[in-house]
Amino acid sequence: MTDIRALGIDVGSTTVKIVGVDAAGNLAWHLLEPAEPRVEDQVTRLLDIADREKSSDAKIPLVATGYGRGLVLQATRRVTEITCHARGVYRELRHGGTLVDIGGQDSKVIAIDPQGDVLDFAMNDKCAAGTGRFIENTARRMHVPLEQMGPVALATTAEVLISSTCTVFAESEVISLVAHGAAVEAILRGLHRSLIKRIVAMIRTVGLVSPLMLSGGVAQNPAIRKMLEEETGAPVILPQHPQLMGAYGAALMGL
Amino acid sequence: MSTLALPRRSEIIRAHQAHGGRIAAVLPIHYPRALLRAFDILPVEVWGPPRIDPSPGAAHLQPYVCSLVRNALAFLLAGELDVADVVIVPHTCDSLQGFASILVDFIQPKQPVLPIYLPRGNRPSDLEFLANEFRALYRALAAITHCTPADAELLASNAREEHADDLLAELHRRRNELAMTQLELYRLIRSREYLPAEMFIEIVGATLHGYSAQGDHPGSPRQNVPIILSGIVPEPMVIFDALAEMRAVVIADDLASCGRRLYPRGTSADPFVRMAERILNAPPDSTRGGAIPERLEHLARLVATTNAKGIVFYDVKFCEPELFYLPTLRQGLQARHIPSTVIEFDLNDAFSQQARTRVEAFIEMLG
Ligand code: SF4
Repeated sequence: MTDIRALGIDVGSTTVKIVGVDAAGNLAWHLLEPAEPRVEDQVTRLLDIADREKSSDAKIPLVATGYGRGLVLQATRRVTEITCHARGVYRELRHGGTLVDIGGQDSKVIAIDPQGDVLDFAMNDKCAAGTGRFIENTARRMHVPLEQMGPVALATTAEVLISSTCTVFAESEVISLVAHGAAVEAILRGLHRSLIKRIVAMIRTVGLVSPLMLSGGVAQNPAIRKMLEEETGAPVILPQHPQLMGAYGAALMGL
Repeated sequence: MSTLALPRRSEIIRAHQAHGGRIAAVLPIHYPRALLRAFDILPVEVWGPPRIDPSPGAAHLQPYVCSLVRNALAFLLAGELDVADVVIVPHTCDSLQGFASILVDFIQPKQPVLPIYLPRGNRPSDLEFLANEFRALYRALAAITHCTPADAELLASNAREEHADDLLAELHRRRNELAMTQLELYRLIRSREYLPAEMFIEIVGATLHGYSAQGDHPGSPRQNVPIILSGIVPEPMVIFDALAEMRAVVIADDLASCGRRLYPRGTSADPFVRMAERILNAPPDSTRGGAIPERLEHLARLVATTNAKGIVFYDVKFCEPELFYLPTLRQGLQARHIPSTVIEFDLNDAFSQQARTRVEAFIEMLG
């Protein structure tokens, strides 16, 4: 049993996250699952679990965010993931800066002022090449477990240039590189670089204010963090649960 | 009266033809309505249209030509413009100029295709050039219709259009007093694309007269985040309902199809010069070569006078005149602390979840 005063649910394209916060806004409870095709059923099930978890029977606010926020019929409020990620990260790290959120289906760069308000943002929601999907697709193609993609890329200093700017073409380019005998590690390093260069272009449109902060599932990939630091020269800071920041921010908005 | 009861394009076209009038299919954006009406030709504008099968048009065009031109060509090839006696193509951009060339050189539709070249500036020589373009258009229309309206008839037609445009400007200005949704308001504004001026005057006059009471109502900026909508054309129109759901209100617009066509009255006694004056003195427009500082000033003034909190640039993908200058324009706005965001759309797209998230996040940021 946990003291939960508000819930936030982040319905993303690859995962669904639910977070409960206590009266002080601390992250008190959470669950993370792969997204199921029947989102409404999954949300109902997760809410039942949350209901059993909370210590009181009182009805509490539920704020929905993420790509599928409109499908959370039980939500008392719906807020975009941009506002929620900014809120969650600011509450945990307690400072402004530039937040990079690389999700499964889109990526965002959010400028947060010293008071925690969103100043500006840029989004890549049109092309998979700047998102987690880019890495996922290649992981599948190369038969490298997703969580190993970053470590494998960092295991070498050699790097192959991936010139295609589109996920589909990059996949064929990777296959052709393998066929020509390029080392997997160097290919993966080049692939990460290509993604990071896209993210850096977005950072430039918003304007980099140090520190850089990372949220979203891809933040757990160590190559992303390292290369972002290399490309920008700015330190990169991660919250404790980068993947939960959207749901956490949503829950905070319910308080 | 409810704007939802607006007559449909097809009804207006049929009614105009029934009394012997002709129809002109007019591509965007600026053209002399008064000149066409003096020949009893009703201009009916073709902004795409949205959500049609674009493939017949796409076969003739490069993939980087905007969806407005692609759809217009598909529409014409499907025979949907057969109702028109003449097709008028203003030289708004390279894509539309290419469209006119394809029609004239290859497709050769059954109707005459008349281009209008627009100058890229507002100097005395530009005025003279545009007036001469309209004189040439007069001669072409005279050859088609065998009519030669006198100057007095041209000026009378001009006066009617000026009256309609005065009311259009009043509709824009008094939008917050009207008990109608944003979608209804923009349907009414956009009815200028096909309604004869006299009918527009009647409908808008009654609307402005009927809803002059002050108070809280669906469009009130007091409860919502006021924004300015910029771009070419607000399609799909559900964007206005989506904005209302996000608690945002379009307090003014800089849309080429709407606010950039608030033509002021002309002053010249020469009807052609007067028509040209009206277009050249309209709000700055990228498609007429409006310089960035001039557009920046205009947008900043709109923001200041309406207390708008930000600008949404809602642009057609591959719209070269709009997108080319956008980065510099936005930099200028940023320097003046005016937040802005850009959404690109294709005329055949629904209002996507991604576009909705962008706009909604922007509204949350402003709110
Ligand atoms: S949308 Fe832009 S590129 Fe297309 S016709 Fe209009 S002005 Fe030209």
